[in-house]
Amino acid sequence: MQRKKINLWPYLLISPALIIILTVVFIPAVNAILMSFQSYDLRRPMNIGFVGFDTYIAVFKDQLFWQSLWKTFQWVVFGVGFQFIFGFGLALLLNKKFIGRGIARSISLIPWVTPGVLIGLMWRWIYDGNYGVLNDILLKIGLIHEKIPFLAQQATAFPAVIVTIIWQGIPFFALMLLAGLQGIPGELYDAADVDGANGFQKLFKITIPSLKNIIFITTMLRIIWVANSVDIIFNLTEGGPAYSTQTLSVYVFNKGNSLNLGYAATMSIMLTLGLLLIAILYLKNLFKNQEE
Amino acid sequence: MKKVLVFILAFTMFVIMSAIGSAQSPVTITHWYWADNPKYSATMQDMAADFNATNGKNIMVVAEEYPWDGGAYSETLFRVVMGGGGPDTSSAKLTSTPLFTANGLLANLDEYIADWKDKDKIEDSLYNTMKGASGTDSIYLMPWTTQVLYVYYRPSMFKEAGVLVPKTYNEFLEACKKLTRDTNGDGVTDVYGFGMRGAKGGHEPWGSFIWARGGNFTDFTSAGAVAGMQDFMDIFKNGYVPPTATMDGFQEIIANFKSGKTAMTVHHIGSSVGMIETFGDDVDAFPFPGDVGQWTSMGDTENVMLESCENKEAAFEWLSYLATGKGQETWCTVTGNVPVSKTVQQFPVFQDSKFMKISIEGAPFAGIYPILDTTTEWISTIWPNTVAAALLGQITADDAMKQLQTGLYGK
Amino acid sequence: MKKEKFRLSRVLPIYIPLAVYLIFLLFPFYWTFVTSIKPENELYSSIVTYWPNKATFASYKKLFVNFNFLKPMINSLLVAVVTTIVSLTVSLLAAYAFSRYRFKGRKALMTMFLTNNMFPTVLLLIPLYAIMRNIGILYTPMALVLSYTTFTIPFSIWLLNGYLNDLPMSLEEAAMIDGASRTQAFLKIIFPILLPCIVATGAYIFMTSWNEYIFAVMFTNEGSRTIPVALKNLIGQLGVEWGMLTAGGIITIIPVCIMFFFAQKRLTEGLTAGAVKG
Repeated sequence: MQRKKINLWPYLLISPALIIILTVVFIPAVNAILMSFQSYDLRRPMNIGFVGFDTYIAVFKDQLFWQSLWKTFQWVVFGVGFQFIFGFGLALLLNKKFIGRGIARSISLIPWVTPGVLIGLMWRWIYDGNYGVLNDILLKIGLIHEKIPFLAQQATAFPAVIVTIIWQGIPFFALMLLAGLQGIPGELYDAADVDGANGFQKLFKITIPSLKNIIFITTMLRIIWVANSVDIIFNLTEGGPAYSTQTLSVYVFNKGNSLNLGYAATMSIMLTLGLLLIAILYLKNLFKNQEE
Repeated sequence: MKKVLVFILAFTMFVIMSAIGSAQSPVTITHWYWADNPKYSATMQDMAADFNATNGKNIMVVAEEYPWDGGAYSETLFRVVMGGGGPDTSSAKLTSTPLFTANGLLANLDEYIADWKDKDKIEDSLYNTMKGASGTDSIYLMPWTTQVLYVYYRPSMFKEAGVLVPKTYNEFLEACKKLTRDTNGDGVTDVYGFGMRGAKGGHEPWGSFIWARGGNFTDFTSAGAVAGMQDFMDIFKNGYVPPTATMDGFQEIIANFKSGKTAMTVHHIGSSVGMIETFGDDVDAFPFPGDVGQWTSMGDTENVMLESCENKEAAFEWLSYLATGKGQETWCTVTGNVPVSKTVQQFPVFQDSKFMKISIEGAPFAGIYPILDTTTEWISTIWPNTVAAALLGQITADDAMKQLQTGLYGK
Repeated sequence: MKKEKFRLSRVLPIYIPLAVYLIFLLFPFYWTFVTSIKPENELYSSIVTYWPNKATFASYKKLFVNFNFLKPMINSLLVAVVTTIVSLTVSLLAAYAFSRYRFKGRKALMTMFLTNNMFPTVLLLIPLYAIMRNIGILYTPMALVLSYTTFTIPFSIWLLNGYLNDLPMSLEEAAMIDGASRTQAFLKIIFPILLPCIVATGAYIFMTSWNEYIFAVMFTNEGSRTIPVALKNLIGQLGVEWGMLTAGGIITIIPVCIMFFFAQKRLTEGLTAGAVKG
C-alpha cells in the first residue's frame, strides 16, 4: 500500500530514537573522526595538531594492523558462522514439543546471560595448562599424551578463543531464531506433509525461506557485534601470546587505553568502513527482498 | 540613618555567621583507591574513619574503591579527570605519571613537603625517584609503600636436589636446571626449577637477567642485554620453566609455587603472608644474584593529589597520614609492604620479618624502569607479546631486543 | 489439546542432541561452581577432582557479609529494566515506521542507525563522560541507561524491523478493510503475533545492559555500581578471589534464569494468536 502524499507519521515515530542517538553519540563520533586527522596522543598533549592523512598512512604501513585485520576476518567467519549453525540447530530443537521444554529454553540462555569478565575467567581456568579440566578430560580419553598449554602458544590460542565466542553466541541465535520460528504458520508444514516432503526438504524449502529476513539481520548484527567485541578476548589472552589473538578491535582497545587516541581513531574508522562495506552488500540484498 | 544601621548590623551578622558556618562545615576530601582483596578494602575504609575521627581539623575523607583491572585503574582515573570530574586524591603507580603530568593534572607538592614536619622521615632517594618519574625537579607524588622483588625458594626441594642457595647468577641458572625433576618416574617433568612470568608484569623479574649480564635499560640492544635475553629464552626452551610461562601472570606463578610445581619464583613481600600460611618454614627467599651487574625491581604505590582539588591543605593532611602517620603503620602491617617512613620501618613487626630483611638486602640494587610516556604501553602490550614471540621461537633474541628498544624509545 | 505420547522413537532424536548441547553450554558453569566450593589446596593440586573432596561455602558467606553484593544486584536490575523499557518502546515505534511505510530518507536513516554500532566505545569515553557531567546525571542510573540505549536502540530497530517484515502486511490490511484504524490494527493483530519477537528483543537488550562493563566502570561510583564492576573489584593486583568471583557470578545468573523461565512462555503465544487465511 503506497501513500503518495508526504506522511508525517513515520518521521514522528522515528524521532524519539533519532533524538537519543544524535544527542549522545553523534557529537563524540564526529569528535573521533576529527581525532583521526590529528596527532591526538594524550600522552603528548603539546603535540596535538592537524596532520591530515599522516596517521592513515602510518596505519597502512603498520604490519600489525594488517595482521589484526586478517585475524578479525577469521574471527568473524568462524565465530559467527558456527554460532549461527549450532544456534539454528538448537532453535529447531527448542521449537519442538517435549516435556521440560520451558526449563531447557531458560537454561540454554545461561552463557549469554553471563558477564564477560566471568566468561573470560571460567574459560581461562578450563583451558589452564597446569590445572585445567580440558587437559584432564583429553588426557583421560587418551586423545593427548601430555598437557597442552592452550592459551600459551599461538597454534592453539586463537582456536580456543573462537570456541569460547561460539559458546557464548549459540544462545543468541537460538533465541532470535526461535522467536522467528513462531511466526511461521503451521499450515505450511501441514501442506508439505500432505505432499510427502521429508525433514530436509521442509527445512530448506519452508523454514529457511520464511526466516530469510531475520537470518540476514541477525547474522549481520552479530558480525558487527563480534567484529567489535573485545571483552572475551581481552579477558582470556589480552591479545597474546605474541599478538596471535589480537583482532583489530583488541588492537584499537589497547591503543585507546594507551591514550594514543588519534591512532586508535584512525584504525577504528577503517574498521568501520570495512564493516560498512559488508553491511552495504547485505543491505542491497535486504532492500531487494523487501520490495518483492 | 536607622535603615543604614540595620543594614550594617545585618551585614555584619551575615559575615560572622558565614565565617562560623564555614568553620563548622567539614571539608570533604574524596579519595580513590584500588584494593587487592576485600580485607585491604576494609582496612582502607577503617583508616579513613580513623583519620576522620582524629584529625582535629574537621576534614572528612570519603574513600571510594575502583577496580584495579590489570592496571586500567590509571586510565579510568585519567579519563574521569580529563572529563572534568574525579577525586581529590588517589592511589597511583609511578608508571602512569607521565600521562598525568603531561596534561597538568597533578598538584605540585613541593611547597607542602617543604613545610612538612615529617619530611625527613622519608629517604631522599625516594624523593628523587618521584622527581624522576615526573621528568621535572618537583614532586608530584607522595610515596606510600614500596616492595623489593626477591626470589622465593623451597628449602626442602633444594635439599632433595642437592642445591645450595645461589650466590651468583650462574649458580642461579644451574639451580634452575638441577631443580627441574621428574619425581614419580613417569617420564613427564613434575617440578620445574623456575616459575617464569611471561605475561604483563613479567618485565620486572626479566630485568634481573638483563642486568646480570651487563646490560641496562638505556640500550636493550647491547651485547650484555641480548645475552641476558638469550639466557631467559634458553631456560624456557630447555624446559626448566612450565610451558605455560608465556601467559603466566601473578596468579599463575604463585599458584604454581604454592602447589609445588616450581621450586623458585620471583615476587615481593606482599605475597609473603600467604606463603607462610601455606608452607610454614619450608619457604624462604634470597635476593636475585648478579654477575657483571645486579638489579632487582622496586615495586611501588604512591598517592597523588589532583590539581583540581579545591582543598589542597586538607588533602595533604590525609596524604601525610598515609605516608608517615598512623595510616602508614596500619596499612603496612596489614599488607606486609615495606614502609616508606623510616620510623615505621623500625617497628618490631617489620624488623622481625625475614622477608622484610631480604627486601632490605635487595634495596641497594633495586630500581625501576625508565618512566616515559611510552612505558605503560610497553609494559602492557609490547613486552609481553615480543617476549612471548621470542620464547616460542618466532624471533631471535637480537630481533626481540631491537623491537623492545624501538617500542620504548621510538625510532 | 493433544497430549504427547511418550514414545521412544519420537523422544530420542530430541533429547539426545539436546543433552549434547546442554552439556556443552552448561559444563563451564558446573565446573565454576565446583571451583568455587573447593578449598585452595585442592584447586591447585595435580589431580583434577570433579567434585570437591571437602566442600566449603565460605566464599558465598563472604560475598554477602563482607562484600555487600546485594546493592550492585539491585542497581544492575534497575538499569537493565529501565533500559529495556525505554529501548523497546522507542525502537518499536521506529521499526514499525521503517517496515510499514515508504518515505524519503528511509534507507539513509536505517543505514545511519546501523553504522552507529560500528564505532568502538573506547573512543567515546571521554566526551561522553563530559556530556554526562554537564547534564548532571553522572553517577546516577540514568547515565548508564542513556549510554546503553544508544547502542541497544539501533540493534533493536533492526531486529524488530526484521521480524515485522516477516509478518505480511496482509494481516493489518484485512483488519483495516474491516474498518479498524492503524493503531487498532497494530494493537489487536500485530502486537500479539509480534510478542515473541518483542520478548526476544527485550531479552537481548536486558542482557546487553546487564553485562556491560566499560561504561559502567566510568559512570558509576560505589553507590550506583553494577554487577560487572563489582565482580572486577574481586580481581585485585595480587590475584583472583576465585571463590567469591565465581560465587558472585553464579548468584548473578540464577535470578535472571528464573525471570527467563517465565518470559519464555510468551515465546509460543504467537502461534495461538489467530491466523489469516490466504
